[in-house]
Amino acid sequence: MLPSALKVYRLSQATSISNRPAQRCALFAMTRSSKNHRSWRALGLTVATTTILLNSGCSQTSSVSSGKIIEIRYMAWGNPEQLALEEELCRLFEKKNPNIRVKFLRVPGSAYGNKMVVMLASRTAPDVLRVDHYQFAHLAKKKYFYDYTEKAATDPEFKREDFNQLAYEEGIIDGKFYGANVLFGAPVIYYNKTMFQKAGLTDPFILWKRGEWTYDAFVESAKALTKKDKAGKFTQFGTIVPAHPLWFPFVWGFGGDLVDPAITKCVIDSPEAIQGLQFVADLRYVHKCAPTPSQSANSAFTFEGGKLGMEFMWMGMTPRYRTVIDSFEWDVVPYPRGPKGDFSAAKGNQLVSPKDTEHPEEAWKFIKFITGPEIERLLYIDNRRCYPTRVALTKDPAFLDGSKPPSQIRIFVDAVRTAKPLPINERWGEWSQAMNTELDNLWAGRERNAEVVAKRAKAAVDKVLSEEPGW
Amino acid sequence: MVRQGQEPKKIKSLAKHEAVWGWVLVSPWIIGFVVFTLGPMIASFLLSFTKYDLATIKFVGAENYRRILTEDPLFWKSLTNTALYVLITVPLGVAGSLLIALLLNQPVRGQRLFRTLFYLPSLVPAVASALLWQWVFNADNGILNQALAWFGLPNIEWLQDERYTLSAFVLMSLWGIGGQRMVIFLAGLQGIPESYYEAATLDGAGSLAKFRHITIPSLSPVILFNVVLGLIGAFQIFTSAYIMTAGGPNNASLFYSLYLFRNAFEYFKLGKASALAWILFAILLVFTLIQFRLSKKWVHYEGSTDRGGSGA
Repeated sequence: MLPSALKVYRLSQATSISNRPAQRCALFAMTRSSKNHRSWRALGLTVATTTILLNSGCSQTSSVSSGKIIEIRYMAWGNPEQLALEEELCRLFEKKNPNIRVKFLRVPGSAYGNKMVVMLASRTAPDVLRVDHYQFAHLAKKKYFYDYTEKAATDPEFKREDFNQLAYEEGIIDGKFYGANVLFGAPVIYYNKTMFQKAGLTDPFILWKRGEWTYDAFVESAKALTKKDKAGKFTQFGTIVPAHPLWFPFVWGFGGDLVDPAITKCVIDSPEAIQGLQFVADLRYVHKCAPTPSQSANSAFTFEGGKLGMEFMWMGMTPRYRTVIDSFEWDVVPYPRGPKGDFSAAKGNQLVSPKDTEHPEEAWKFIKFITGPEIERLLYIDNRRCYPTRVALTKDPAFLDGSKPPSQIRIFVDAVRTAKPLPINERWGEWSQAMNTELDNLWAGRERNAEVVAKRAKAAVDKVLSEEPGW
Repeated sequence: MVRQGQEPKKIKSLAKHEAVWGWVLVSPWIIGFVVFTLGPMIASFLLSFTKYDLATIKFVGAENYRRILTEDPLFWKSLTNTALYVLITVPLGVAGSLLIALLLNQPVRGQRLFRTLFYLPSLVPAVASALLWQWVFNADNGILNQALAWFGLPNIEWLQDERYTLSAFVLMSLWGIGGQRMVIFLAGLQGIPESYYEAATLDGAGSLAKFRHITIPSLSPVILFNVVLGLIGAFQIFTSAYIMTAGGPNNASLFYSLYLFRNAFEYFKLGKASALAWILFAILLVFTLIQFRLSKKWVHYEGSTDRGGSGA
């Protein structure tokens, strides 16, 4: 932090006070003209070297074009396997487009958001970058992104009707199309099939097919899967309290909502929404089939560890579970049916270009390539990375093949069909944090009555939304 | 043949030569300081009078400061959390470091080994130690609660119960008492001439009296240094809270730097964040000035004639 740096500096100055006269003397000597050229040359050399060093650290802007080969830069985050896959996509693109080179920038997920914003603000952002949809609206409103509206509308290889409409519309802000969707998907329930069999319970998929996968059936299963040892200590939990924003479908399932459609005020204090919140909190404190925050601290109960019966998680978790889980069978099932119907939530990421990119044509080509049929097949069928944005692929037999878990890929299709877009606007980070600070009292059991918490959450969110942004 | 008059000129040019080289050698630091510290400081001072979200910038006068001080409950919450933390950890930490330094200054067998052992924790990176402490504080399986259970004390949800979160962070801060601060104390202790103690022994002083009248006054500049640095450091607690609790539960561990970070890099309210930074700077400046003023009453400088130090 800046102030401290100065303080430490001041302190060090104070302690080395005896050096001061010498410094002043040196300054004096330097300001006078000197015949000693050697020293001056050395000084100049040092300054020049330092300047070059400093510059080389910052100058990433130029995308060198030697001859006819154009280099574009692409930035994304992910775990090592995902990044290796991204790298592969770049090479495939280069093979198809020999006059374009793609330089892939890897940035760790934890630092990605900040780095991206700083790059955009300082106009040093790469030509194509992946933006999490949580941040997309916020950055699009700041006019950081290249407007691809016309290209998207006229390009014959990028027809709107080929795409899932939720996925396509995520990229539109204020009527302008800024980014194509990648890594789109919805959360589902991953369940431990072996655990269900051992407990002698009906498989959730069968219940779902019969239309009996309701909130009650879900709670009953979760309770039956929860186990304690002789000392009364929990050894296994049926489910978890879904993390933000994966509990939203329960509010929708009772007919409630979080905010009004225009995101101008919070409506989480409606009786329906309160029912949803209470339902989620009761999993922990009434039915005791989900671990409390302290019980689940330090990953004590994880799905991959075989200590959790049912977990709410995005579809994108599939590749990881395929590699790490070998001690039990698992599968997926949609969220249970609420009194007001089936609900899941939809969200993806956007591939965008900065407004001032020097290579919009090449960048668009690359975006189109990543969201094209060939790469979508590689990403979402061969690797099950997430869910295809191209509708045709979701009907492909290869996509629906369930020889490797999860066996019922149609569950994914159904989850996306019932998904509502998350209410993300440019102030999502702020208002959802204000809301969660209040709701945390409910999730952590400090307040057991959802109505009390919902009223406070509404007040907190309304305060944020009514304020002029940016203060 | 060298004429006599030329002699001073030669010395002068030698001095000049040395001075230039001096500047050349310190230039990396000076450039670094100007570019990465002074420049950003000036920029943040100017930004604190603007409404800036990285896209649009508007001069708003002291409006950021007014809003922070009069309309922002989280500012006061984070300041209270931080002040409480500082108030407890700094005296405790400085006293603890001094105690350990005294112990490690005893001529016992394995002295070097003990010194190494006590210094080791401060070599663990902040993030790693935060993750480690998360385990220590685990309500169900953490060693802290198990230790409490031996005494028949109930389980405490250290990081999930807002009544205990601050205490957890205070406990964690004690993990660092064997670090740099202790080393500075140790160096200070070794700088106290043995003859003082010998003289005191001859006068019949006990070990407590020697500590009170020789060790403390002789160490007083070092104590001041450690208190000042400790205060500045404690006011800036960030990493552990960011990793372990993310400010929760219920903002019980929302420390000032964390709140500042959120405004700057999560909400991109850079004007407000800059104002927050300068408010913290002002607070630290005031505290430091107060300490330097108070120090005239108790800090004893070796060889200084103008202040005797009432404690000596």
